[in-house]
Parts: sequence; C-alpha cells; structure tokens
Amino acid sequence: MSATLARPAGAGPSKAGPGPSKTGRGTRPPRGGRRVTKALHFLTFGAPGMIVYLLLVLVPIAMTVRAGFTNRNPANPPTHWVGLRNYRDLLHDPAFTGALRNTLIVTVIVTVAANVLGLFIAQLLDRSGWLYNALRSVFFTPVVLSSVVVSVMWQAILSDDGLLASALRGLGVEDPPGWLSDPDLALYSVAFIITWQVLGFCVVVYLAGLAAVSTELLEAAEMDGAGRLSRFRHVTWPMLAPAVTINTVMLLITGFKTYDQIQVITNGGPGSGTTSTIAFEVVQTTFTGNHIGYGSAMATLMLMIIAAISVVALRFLQRREVTQ
Amino acid sequence: MNATRTSPRSSSWFRPLAATFVTGVFFLPLYVVLVNVFKPGSEITPHPVGVPIPPSFTSIHEVLTRSDHLFWYGLINSVEVTAISITVLTVVSAMLGHYLARSTGRWAKGALAIMLCGLMIPSTVILQPVTEVLRSLGLMNTIPGLVLANIGYYVPFGVFVFMGFVKTIPLELEEAAALDGAGRFRIFWSVVFPLLRPASASVLVFLGVWIWNDFLNPLIILGPANGTTVTVGIYRAIGEHQSDFGTVFALMFLATLPILVFYLAFQKHFVKGLTGGATKG
Repeated sequence: MSATLARPAGAGPSKAGPGPSKTGRGTRPPRGGRRVTKALHFLTFGAPGMIVYLLLVLVPIAMTVRAGFTNRNPANPPTHWVGLRNYRDLLHDPAFTGALRNTLIVTVIVTVAANVLGLFIAQLLDRSGWLYNALRSVFFTPVVLSSVVVSVMWQAILSDDGLLASALRGLGVEDPPGWLSDPDLALYSVAFIITWQVLGFCVVVYLAGLAAVSTELLEAAEMDGAGRLSRFRHVTWPMLAPAVTINTVMLLITGFKTYDQIQVITNGGPGSGTTSTIAFEVVQTTFTGNHIGYGSAMATLMLMIIAAISVVALRFLQRREVTQ
Repeated sequence: MNATRTSPRSSSWFRPLAATFVTGVFFLPLYVVLVNVFKPGSEITPHPVGVPIPPSFTSIHEVLTRSDHLFWYGLINSVEVTAISITVLTVVSAMLGHYLARSTGRWAKGALAIMLCGLMIPSTVILQPVTEVLRSLGLMNTIPGLVLANIGYYVPFGVFVFMGFVKTIPLELEEAAALDGAGRFRIFWSVVFPLLRPASASVLVFLGVWIWNDFLNPLIILGPANGTTVTVGIYRAIGEHQSDFGTVFALMFLATLPILVFYLAFQKHFVKGLTGGATKG
C-alpha cells in the first residue's frame, strides 16, 4: 500500500497518475517517470501473487529437488551430498516400484473407465427437459464432495463389516468378497471409488462438448444415410476432441496424484504396500519415516513423470484436434 | 440404423428409463449415506436402504453436542481458512491476471508460463519444504500459515481463469478511463473488476470447494495441537468409532452442508464465467 501512496511523487505527470492529472494528457511523460510507473504497477498488481507463488511453490520445488541429492534425515544427522544414490536406490526399492506400478494401474483404469462411462452417460443425458436437468445435477454432486467424505462413504459400504457385505449376508451369501481387505481386490476397489468420484466432472465436460456439436451437421449426415454409429464416428467424435483432451489430461493427473483415498481407506494395505501410490509413499517416507532426502528424490521423480504426462498428452491430443 | 425421427416410439421410453436407471445406480451410495443420517445407529446395518420415517435426529444431535466440540471447532477453522483464502485469492489473482494479460513484454510471457506450470504440481511434492518455509516465517501450525500456503498453491488457477476473461474486455474501455484521469487502481476497481464478476464467481466457487475439502494440507500444516478443519475432523473421527456409521455419516453430512449451500448459491454464475472466458478468449 505504501507504494501506491508514493506513486504520484515519482510518477510525475504520467497519464496513469491518479487525481487531476489532466494537464499531462497527451504529453509524453519523461522516460524515467515512465519506468517508475511501470515498476510501481508491477509492485502493486503483479508482485503480491508472484511473491507468494515464488515463496510457497517455486522455492519448495527447488528445495525438494536439492534435498533429493542428499541423505537428509532430521533423526540421523549430519546431512551430506550423496549424488544420484537416492535415485539408484529407488529403482531397486520394491516399496517404490510397487507404488509406481499401483499408481499406473489406478491411473489407467480411472482414465479409461471415466472417459468411456462419462461419454456414454453424457450421450444418454444429452436431451432437454426437467428430467434430464435433474439427472445432470445428480451427476455433478460428487464434485462438491471432499475425497475424505467419498472415501469414508465407500469404506462404510465396502469394508468387511460394511453395509454391502451385511446386505449380501442377509441375502444368503456365505462369504462376501473382501473388497478392501483382499490384497488382490483392494487396488481395483480404490480405482473404482476414484472413478465414481471423478465421473461427474467427465460427464459435465462431455455434455458441454456435445452441446457444441452442430445439429445441422448431424441431420445432414442422417439425410445422407449415415447410421447412428457412423454419425458418432464421423461427426460427433471429431467435434468432441477438445472435451476428450480436457478429460484425459485431468484424469491422468488426478490418477497420478492419488493420495487421499489411500490414506483414508487402506493406509497402503492390506499387507505391505498392496495399494500404496507414489504420492502416499512420498508422504510416508518424508513425514512418517523422516527420510527427507530419499522422499524428496521420490517426489522429484513424481514431478518429472507428471510433467512428461502433461506435455505428451497435450501434444498428442492437440494434434488429433488439428488433424480431424 | 433406426433414426430417431422415423421410430419415435421405440426410443421415446427407452432413453428416460435408461438415463434414470444409470443415474439411480450412480446415486445409490449417496442415498445410503443420506437416509442413514436420519436413523438411530442401531437401525443402519439391519436396514441400510430403508427410508427413515419418522426421521431420527440422534446422530446429528450427537455430533453437534460432542464433548470435544470437534465439529464446531472444525467448522470455525474451515470457515475462517476458506473465507480468507478465497477472498485474498480472488483479489490477488484478478490483479495478477489483469497485469499479465495486459503486459506484452517477453518476461511477462515467461512469468505466465511458469505460473501456469503450477496448475499441475501435486501438493504432496512440495508439502515438506512448504512446512519448512512456513516454520522459518513463524507461521507453521497457524491458520495464517495455511492461508498463505493455499494462496501460493491456488494462485495459478485464479490467474488462468481471470486471464482468459480479461482478454474479452476491450482495452479501449481502460484507455478511455485513463484519459478521463483515472489511476490504475481506479481503472481496475471501477471498470475492470466489475466486468470480471462471472470469472470471480467461478474462482470463488472452485477454490471454495477445493479449499474446504482439502485434506493433507490442513492435516499437516495445522497439525494436531491447533484443531482441525471439518474435513480433517471426519478423518480423525473415523479412527475413534470405526463401525458407528450413524455419527460418521452425520458428521460428513454436516461438514458438507455449508459448502454445498455455497456452491448452489454461486452455481448459476460460474458456468457463465468459465464458458464466457473460453469461447471469446
């Protein structure tokens, strides 16, 4: 604020100066004054957001990358440089490779399932009228829910003494599957839960995309004898390209970041690491295990993978948008 | 195959029925939670999908009158953190978005690119150093610390939305105001910011929902000693009464209600805000 108050003195008769500066209108302000005005404009409008971003995002990224080359551990000083040792160790660490595998499985399932189901449901709901309006708002509800709420809800339903298991027992099923307690099932249950949570967003994006598909074009194709499938393939699908791009990139990144559901529902288990993801492993290693150096190397790898996914996915999908 | 116009009868009942069925299956888990908020705990496992008539408010009452005030303290913290964060974020990112959208220099483009990279950075990657930065500022385990972390983390999203919208505002409007002698602050607050209202609504809604629902940041930054937000409160509560579904559901219901009301109040504006910026920008 003090910068604002000081401005008129330094800015001179610049046209941006407040108050009755009409005398300066039309005349070019002196160079120095202009530079000061620019600097003050930056300080008041640009700087506040940039400084907080710098301090709480960019500096921490640099700190993470730097710590990844050390053996830093507050419980076990002194800290010294270890070069690439953390990265070499990571490649042979089953906790990390397992988490990477789990993360990839969840990401692929969520991306494919939510895209396919989302497009199918959006097609189904792409009509006007009160019924479809109501159904659309139902699909958008989970977007407002915290992943903690979603996780606890599904845990209450899917756990061994949960509502689904007791309902199945009531129907005479002797031994209902342990959706969350069976090491072979738990990861897929988590992927299912995340798919449910993000589905509404996909539906909304696809509905917006479908609204942009021209009805004239569809009718023209119909007149020319194009069947329902070929109308979808040659008219709707190409025009949906931007929606596919948004959803796919969003789902890939969401899948790769998976943390909350693991922390709340499975805590990485059952057994050792059957559902742990990279993000979960990063938090466990740095906060619970105090291995800040090793955890930071893991976090740096995760950041690089996400950056690569974003760049590749955007390039690939945008090319499809251009060519089709 | 059969076009809609030639065979209206076969498809006129199929679509509404299929749409209702699919939506019903999707909504079932939420329905289960909702009806069981209004049942006494002992009724839930035997009748999980039954409609509660008459509704029972024992679970809600139990959550509201907990001796440790988990819900009320959490609610106060959540409201405080969310309200301050989104107010500051809206102002700061509107000004920064305007600044970057109107700057033509090469370094402004670079700053924008670096800023937009922040859209994809997972908070888990930077959380540990963020706690160190906050500690060195003396803000660790405080609400201002959490607010500051939120501002840094979400400012790219705000800038992204506002940038797209600022470009739809004719520059002539600002130049005219400047010729009339308005300063940069006057121009921004009296001319630009009112026109950005749809974008502000989207930023408020999205960030409000995200910050209210945030889990890991408040868990770590506020820490156990200084209370929690309602969202973290749910996580704390499930540790205590694992199979007491009634109180857990009631807590989830009460924790979601404020943000749901907020969302519905702003919903009308924000769809306009997002598409407005996207189609004209």
